[in-house]
Formats: sequence, structure tokens, C-alpha cells
Amino acid sequence: MSLLEVNDLSIQYEVDDDEVHAVDGVDFSIDRGETYGFVGESGCGKTTLGKSLVHLLDSNGFIADGEIWFDGTLPQWENDRGEPRRDVIENDQYPVREDGKTDLAQLDNEQIRDVRWRNIALIPQSAMNALNPVYKVGDQIVEAIRRHEPNTSVEEADTRARDLLERVGIDPDRADDYAHQFSGGMKQRAVIAMAMACNPDILIADEPTTALDVIIQDRILDELDELQEEFNVSILVISHDISVMAEICDQLAVMYGGKIMESGPKAEVFQESANPYTLGLKNSFPTVKQEQSELVSIPGSPPTLLDPDPGCRFVDRCPFAVDECESSHPPMYDVADAEGGRRVEGDDEKSHRSACYRVDDLETMRTEASKEETWQAITQNH
Amino acid sequence: MTRISARYLGKRIVVSYITLLVIMTLLFALLRSMPGTFISSMITPEMQPEQIQRMREVWGLNEPLWKQYVNFMVNYQTGEFGMSPTNRVPVWDIMIRRLPRTLILFGAAFIVAYIVGPLVGMYLGWLRGSRKDKSIFASSLVMYSMPAFWLAWLFIWLFNYELGWLESTYMYHQFPQFEWTVVSTITNVLHHITLPLISLAFVNWVGVMLVMRPSMNNVTEEDYVFLAQAKGLSERTVMIKHAARNALIPVATQAIVGLAFLIDGSIIIEQVFSWPGIGQLIVNAVISKDYPVAQASFFILAVLVVVMRLLTDVVYTYLDPRIKFGEG
Repeated sequence: MSLLEVNDLSIQYEVDDDEVHAVDGVDFSIDRGETYGFVGESGCGKTTLGKSLVHLLDSNGFIADGEIWFDGTLPQWENDRGEPRRDVIENDQYPVREDGKTDLAQLDNEQIRDVRWRNIALIPQSAMNALNPVYKVGDQIVEAIRRHEPNTSVEEADTRARDLLERVGIDPDRADDYAHQFSGGMKQRAVIAMAMACNPDILIADEPTTALDVIIQDRILDELDELQEEFNVSILVISHDISVMAEICDQLAVMYGGKIMESGPKAEVFQESANPYTLGLKNSFPTVKQEQSELVSIPGSPPTLLDPDPGCRFVDRCPFAVDECESSHPPMYDVADAEGGRRVEGDDEKSHRSACYRVDDLETMRTEASKEETWQAITQNH
Repeated sequence: MTRISARYLGKRIVVSYITLLVIMTLLFALLRSMPGTFISSMITPEMQPEQIQRMREVWGLNEPLWKQYVNFMVNYQTGEFGMSPTNRVPVWDIMIRRLPRTLILFGAAFIVAYIVGPLVGMYLGWLRGSRKDKSIFASSLVMYSMPAFWLAWLFIWLFNYELGWLESTYMYHQFPQFEWTVVSTITNVLHHITLPLISLAFVNWVGVMLVMRPSMNNVTEEDYVFLAQAKGLSERTVMIKHAARNALIPVATQAIVGLAFLIDGSIIIEQVFSWPGIGQLIVNAVISKDYPVAQASFFILAVLVVVMRLLTDVVYTYLDPRIKFGEG
């Protein structure tokens, strides 16, 4: 059974009496112990998506529609065995479903605060600046532990904080240091250690390796991998960096303009990409294995999400666009069926799916997409 | 745990001392370049030239200027402030009577301004852009733009003249049959200090708020404030413990400048409320050409500013652990 099940999630920002549709009807699910990646350009809505799960959007952002079913309840709604109480499930005033899942989208401010860090820990972008400069690093971990486990003594929490630091390769004595005495990689690891303080179910890592050099990047990714094994935590990685995703994800979703364009098991999305945007994105990243003389970028820029046009979000930059693409945004089609030339909507969120009307014409797209002329043709058309 | 090394503190003290020496030199030059001399106020038309000559000699005015300077520097550092020609008592005696009164008013205003200012600034910065923020901010700015003495008159008119709640002159009232118990003394003084205190604090807390508000505003954008929220901490904890604590650092910088303004303001406020402190003394001394008293008053205020700056410096290093102690 999935740990997190997101249905038709839409997030909007209110900007000068207009609504920006930052995330628009997104479905996905994460299993326990799985690593799920969201990849896409800046402004595609991936960070917004991550923040919305625990209601950490900016003050003008709100969940406009959708459900976030999470396998776990608030402590006050649980019985001794940690399961949701029967009366809570049956009472309509609580957003708890028959299978025991809670809809995080419906929790109020007070309730979601109990979920943050205890169930879902979110490490923000540029985690290196996420440590408060005026408090000792150890004390900041102690604060997180005692917030969610008030019965833990300071000494006990302090011991745990030092253990966590040691666990991510930082000398436990450095708990008495301040953030400015740490190197960039150490700060990142300290924040990861802090994220594990309450043994969360899900760790959301927003750009966990950006602004770190390649060697440190690699170590951080290994660290995440080991922690996942040890704590059996699910990780939601958000990044623009395809190579990071290739290294750690099990499942991958490619986002563009607030929509998921393609999703499925990592290897399938990468090696058998079935969406023009994914194909274009891959072209613009260097690879070690493949011989590629030049990087090809996608001309144009992401669409403004203020009152988006009804058509496919990618239509303006897509070299394969046909008339149908202008009509409405395509649903998620099953790629396995499409390989056989059939265009069938896919219901299984775990399988390889692509939002493209021309998914039944995969071979053409794959061959053409690797050529530079294909992409340059769009600039001339517009 | 001490964060400040003796070496750092020693260095700051030496710098403060040098500052005072420079101030004393300026003071010496300033008062000697003013029209008249130290004895001008005592000379009457009936005096014989020999008498005046004798007076000049007694006051050391016949010595070469460099010797006068050396004498001045040595005397002041040994606490020898000379005699007041108008009051005919040692200047030191006047100072020691007046200083505590100024310290009470100034200290209370300082505490009020630096408690109210950061608190209001914290809330406004946290609620940035809200209607509450805008209205409180705008009205404080209006108050801030008023001259301190005018605001003081306004308070006097309202609380003393119209409502009759508070006194507007001197430190305490001497009724013929007043019983000086602890409680009665305190209420008596409170009746008198409240108006000068709020007049002085009012102008200054807005200055502090004007630093705290944008500082708080900037801090709320910081990643560590976001992380504090992500940790599930309550809004209050995030605001006070994580945001305000960091936003206070620039306030400490402001305090260094703000202190001088506060002392500046206390001279005017003491005059308006006839508060018998150093500020009032300065004005009277200048008017009556009592140079020794004016000189000593300026000196005492300078010492006050320098000492407070030293304290602020120490506070600053406690507020921000990124400052390296014992170095720099």
C-alpha cells in the first residue's frame, strides 16, 4: 500500500487579483522506502509541490484542489497501537479515510504542524543557509526532537543529536559549534541529520546537491541512500539536475508548467523516454556514456502560468505539435501500450506514462528529437 | 561561558580611553575659542585692572596655552573639575548631585525605547504589508516627525493641563507636610518622571523600530526561518526565537548611534520639564557663561556616551556568535 497518494493536486498563487496555476492536477504516489524524483526546469512547480504537502507555501499560495492521502494520523487521532481510532474514521469531521489514511490537504495550521518533521521532513533549497547562525547546531537538532517528543529530556535529546551527527559523518563534538564554523558540505549533512531526528516517514529534499561540488554531491547522495536503508524512509527528491535523479531515484516524474509530462520507473523514463519534453531535456544535459558532440537546448522559455491556455503546456516549444495539442492538455497515456501503437490512458500511477497526444508515434519522435534541426525549426515557426 | 576574551575587552577599553582624550582636547579648544574667558562672568565694571590681573593668575589664565592644556588634561583625569564661578562651589559637587538624576531619566528612557522599539518592530516586520502594519507604522512615523520639545508640550497640555494626571516640572514635589516613606517617594517621583520619560522614549523607540522592522522583514525571508517552520515549531517560537533573535543584531548597531540621539534629546527634555539634571545644567551654564560647569557637563555626557558604546559593543558580540572574539 502506498505511503502517500496525491490525487489531482492543484496549487495556485494569488498575484494581483490573478491566479497563477503553479501546479495543475498532479497525481502520484510514493511507497514506503521508495525514492521518488521530480525533475524539471525552474518555475515548473516542483518546489511548490513539495512545500504544499506540509502547507509551507508562501502566504499567497494555497491548495486549490486535490487530496494528499497520507498513511499515518495525528497522534491525537491514534489509539495505543498507533492506528487511527475507529470513531475518528467514522466521524465525518476528521479527514481520515476507511483505510486509515489522512488527507493532509484538509488539516488546519495547528494540525499540520504536528505532521511537519515528525512525519514529513522538508529540507529546503539551499539547506546550507537553513541553520540558524545564532544557535549551536546541536541545540537546533535538540529543538526539533523536543518539539515532537516533549517527554524526551534535554540530555537524552542531546545524546541523540550527537549520534545523528556522527551518523552522517560529523564529529559529535561539533554539536557545540555554530553553523559558520561548518563547511558547506557539513552544513548540508547536519541538516540531513536534523531531518532524521524524529524518524520521519517521508523526507522531502529540495535540490539537495545544488551549490555543492561534485565530490560532495556524490557523498550527500550516498548518505541519503544509506539513511534510506537504515530508517526505511521514503525520499522525495526535487531537482533540475537529471544526473542526480539518475543516481538515486526509483520512480521519476518530469514536470513542466505545473503538469507531470512523463512519469514511471526511472530506467524507463530515461532510456525509453516517451515525451517530447523529456527528450528535449535529455538533449540539453551532457552524458558521459553517450558520444554527443554538442548539447541541444530547447528554444523558448517555460509558459507563464497566469491563466494558461487550454492546450498542452509544452505546445509552444514542441517540434511535434499537431492541431490536437492546442485543444486541451493531454491525459497520461500508457507508454507500454503506445509502443504497440495504441493510445490508451494509463491508470497505474507506478507504470510508465506520458502526457502527449502523439505518444502512439514514438519512433518518429525519438529519432527526430536527437537532431538539432528539429528543435531549431520551432524558433523559425514562431 | 565567557565569549569575550580579556584581550578583546582590554582593547576596547583602550580605544574608549583614547576617544575620551580626543573629546577632551576638542572640548578644551572649543571653550577657549568662545568669546570671553572663564572669569568673564565674575568681572564687574567697578573692578581695578590689578584685580582682574590677579584673578587671571588665580585661574591660571596667564600660563602659556600648552601649559593650560596639560593642566586641564591632568586635572580632569584626576577628577579635579575646578570651581564654579557663579555658584562658588566645586564643580565636582554639582556634578555628583546632578548626574544621578540624568541617569535615572536617561536610563529609564533607554530601557523603554529599547524594549518597546524592538517589540513593535518585531510584530510589524512579521505582519509586513498587513493593514495593522501599515496603520501602526504610519502613525509612528507621524509622531517621529514631531520635534521632541513640541511633543513634550503636547503631553504637558494633555496630561497636566487638561487631565491633571501628571506633573510637568521638577523631579518631585515638596508638600509642606509630606511624609517621605518609600511608597510615597516612588509615587511622587513617578508623577514627575512619567511625562519627560515618555517624551524622551517616544521619539527614540520609533528610531529603534525603524531598524527592527525591515531587519525582521529580511530575516523572515531567510532559509533558517523557513526550516524552523518546517520543523513544526509554533508561529510564536519561530517569530521570537528564530526570526527576532537574528533581527536584533542590526538594532545593536543602531543603538550605538541611537544613544547619542537619546542624550541629545535629554538635554532638550530636561529643559522643557525643568528636570534638574546635567542637560538643564549645560543650558544654564552656557547662558550664565559658567565655563567650568559647562566644560564638566559636556565631559560627563561624553563619558556617558563612550561607556554606553563600550557596553553596546559587548552586547553585540553576545548577540552574534559569528563575530570572532579576541581577534580583530
